[in-house]
Amino acid sequence: MDTDRRRLLRWLGKGSVFAAFVAQIGAAARAFFPNVLYEPPTTFKLKQPAFYPQGYTFDAEHRLFVIRAEARFHVISAVCTHLGCTVQWRGTEFDCPCHGSRFDANGNVISGPAPRPLPWFEISIAPDGLLEVDSASAVPEGSSLTVATEKT
Amino acid sequence: MAGGIQRLWRKLAWPWSPASDREASEAIVRNLWLHWFPAKVSGRSLSWSYSLWLGTAAASLFVILTVTGVMLMFFYVPSTERAYGSIKDLEYAVSFGRLLRNQHRWAAEGMVALAFMHMARVFFTGAYRGSRALNWLVGVALLLGTLMLSFTGYLLPWDQLAYWAITVGTNIASQAPLVGPTARYILLGGHFVGQQTLLRFYVLHVFFLPAVVWILVAYHMWRVRKDGGLAAIEPLRALRRAEPREMPRTKSYSLFGLTPGTSVAVASSMGLEESDQVASSPNLTRRMMLVFLTVFNLTLLLSLFINAPLEGPANPSVTPNPAKAPWYFVWLQELVSWTTVHLGSITISGGLLGGILVPGILLAALILWPFLDRSTDAEGVWFAPERKRQNAVFVVITAVIIILIVVGAWLRGPYWHLYWPWSPRPVLPRVL
Amino acid sequence: MAERRDQSLERQDFAWLVLMSLIFFGLVAIGLWREYATAWRPWQREFKLVLAHAGRFQDARKFQPGIRQIWNPELGVVDRCVSCHLGYEWGGILPAALRQPLTPHPNLSFMNRHPFDRFGCTPCHAGQGWATNAHAAHYGGGGWEEPMLSRRLAAGCGVSEAELLQMRCNFCHRRDRSTQGMDAINLAKTLIKKKKCLICHSVEGQGGHSAPDLTYEGDKDPEQFDFSHIAGARTVFNWHVEHFIAAGKVSPKTAMPDYDMPPDQARALALLMLSWRHINYPPQYIPQPQSAPQTAATPAASSNH
Repeated sequence: MDTDRRRLLRWLGKGSVFAAFVAQIGAAARAFFPNVLYEPPTTFKLKQPAFYPQGYTFDAEHRLFVIRAEARFHVISAVCTHLGCTVQWRGTEFDCPCHGSRFDANGNVISGPAPRPLPWFEISIAPDGLLEVDSASAVPEGSSLTVATEKT
Repeated sequence: MAGGIQRLWRKLAWPWSPASDREASEAIVRNLWLHWFPAKVSGRSLSWSYSLWLGTAAASLFVILTVTGVMLMFFYVPSTERAYGSIKDLEYAVSFGRLLRNQHRWAAEGMVALAFMHMARVFFTGAYRGSRALNWLVGVALLLGTLMLSFTGYLLPWDQLAYWAITVGTNIASQAPLVGPTARYILLGGHFVGQQTLLRFYVLHVFFLPAVVWILVAYHMWRVRKDGGLAAIEPLRALRRAEPREMPRTKSYSLFGLTPGTSVAVASSMGLEESDQVASSPNLTRRMMLVFLTVFNLTLLLSLFINAPLEGPANPSVTPNPAKAPWYFVWLQELVSWTTVHLGSITISGGLLGGILVPGILLAALILWPFLDRSTDAEGVWFAPERKRQNAVFVVITAVIIILIVVGAWLRGPYWHLYWPWSPRPVLPRVL
Repeated sequence: MAERRDQSLERQDFAWLVLMSLIFFGLVAIGLWREYATAWRPWQREFKLVLAHAGRFQDARKFQPGIRQIWNPELGVVDRCVSCHLGYEWGGILPAALRQPLTPHPNLSFMNRHPFDRFGCTPCHAGQGWATNAHAAHYGGGGWEEPMLSRRLAAGCGVSEAELLQMRCNFCHRRDRSTQGMDAINLAKTLIKKKKCLICHSVEGQGGHSAPDLTYEGDKDPEQFDFSHIAGARTVFNWHVEHFIAAGKVSPKTAMPDYDMPPDQARALALLMLSWRHINYPPQYIPQPQSAPQTAATPAASSNH
């Protein structure tokens, strides 16, 4: 009886030390997953639609292209889908300086290692009239936002 | 006259010169630093032509890296605002700062090269089998540790090359199945290379990885003793084994007390005749000193006349054209640039295939090789005929990697197009 | 046998050890010499003589060799130019004909409102302030994208050095309608009005939106320009010059008319374009916007400095 109790207590003691130790390691590891990020949010505002001229406008801050055709807008990411370098608009296509991927005017891969086309981001008009981009949600190629702009 | 100089030199270099082999052996046991070495060492493992002393040279570089690295820590600020400026200060305003940084840089690149060459030597001499398999694994871990130290150190100057090499490198990590994106997130401390990334890489680079590598280096060297010395002695040992005799059995001190078996001291001289060996002190220590001095001179020479590169400050909105990884990773960059495959509707990214699968397979092959190796003999001999096929595999893989490095480092120009060294490359436009 | 091998090993290594030790000593000696033989030291030695020659014995005695720098954290300026350009603030005392790099800074009319300790060197002249040798300081190199605005660079652009510098004056003075001494930029600013650029283009929230915004035109990376129709130098400056003269030729699809303007006007406008950059200077460095033109030079406007 006495030995049984001792055995139980010893098991409990060992077990709790082990569990506490594992929990401590887990807690320490958890600290490496940041809870807040000093990063721009994935939904952000650009400028008024009227601000963007016809054609391709590069936004270096957000690493994307705003493309305007008359009153229709769409936004293509400038981040290469291969390994994350910034692609350049070269008049008829996007070229990536890191590994030579090439994309056509709609972001589809022409050649090179890029596995996927450049994503099109969802855009909307915020209540204050600015163009709003959600870089976390991609929209199918060809979708665009038509904005009635009177100022152009 | 020459004898006089020699005596003077002995006085300067050594506190005493051992009168007998016994005294020399005792010196090793008494001295902490010499404790890594056995009391006696076979003449063959001291020869230049067998080991080429590549491991010692790599360890020497690691000593240089540790000392120069600690010095650099006094001047470097791991903050995105000040890191680049503190490197500029080292280059232009700190006395001997540029020399210090150059030495750290060239020693680091040299260590990657020498660690690999050391591994090639061990492979070609078949010195990784039996009880040495464990030390081979430690060696593979050390090679990985060296590469990780290079990778983390690469970010610290916070220049364009650093920023984009780490962006590409961590994007390769994120291509790993299942854990990839999480691994990248925890490595960067976010989704982009930023202040958190710099701090994490800094701590990994100056504390965590060096500590691990130092412990492994110590174990690696001790293990050489435990395995009876370099494999160079194996042919000799086989010769001696032909003459039958009693192996001395002694008690040995392990971490947890006494264990039966043969002690390290006995194992190191096991099966060798007295006449096959020389005292480690001063024969081994002297030669190590010579290797260290030679390696130090080489890094110093490079550092005096060739400057470590530094690009413009990191700019997240402009990718340099082309953005190249350092030479020891550029073969992977070359690989990822054309390993994207399309199988019907499924696309496998080059980052996964060339960036993770290929190096992963190579690593797995390195780890498993000692256990798959079926050759029975030919240990401690260069290019043994029995190992012809194995050596050929190693040579081919190494040659492919070297070719990829040459193509990536010298033949790739803007937009990663191929250019011959003599063909003109487009001049990138400038502001003024 | 063992004794013999010991000796043979010693014989093999001894000479090499001595040789390596001597090489080590030699290399360290080279390192020490390199550290002493810096680019600035001869100039500092000469400057000391120049001071003594000019009768400033006290100053010559006090002169200590070493790296000198103008540090202004407000502007992020670390300018070690003055390690060699030692005469810069001795304009009144030392002869202006002193050879470079000891030459005193010309005492231009605006210098008293742009003191060296508050403005440093690189905010106006560009170049790499960190550097302590002439080549690195003047040309940068290794990815440093702001070479010093030299006479040679200006000649390559077809403007004078003073005109090229006005580009950087305009970092702070961009809201001035016109600024004394900034003739090229002033010309460009009047041209912007005269050619009615803001009907299509927008700058700082003003103007039309049928053409690209130009607020930070100077920050655009050279690779964002299409040089395939550029006849001359592949520089952003030249792109702008050719574009102002014949926009249709440089970008065939553009709606911008060919202005066919004289080259000096195009160059002035190109300077203005390159001056429109995102500069994080603190507000006390930015001149107050004037209510009326031609007041920039009055002491009232400059007392804000």
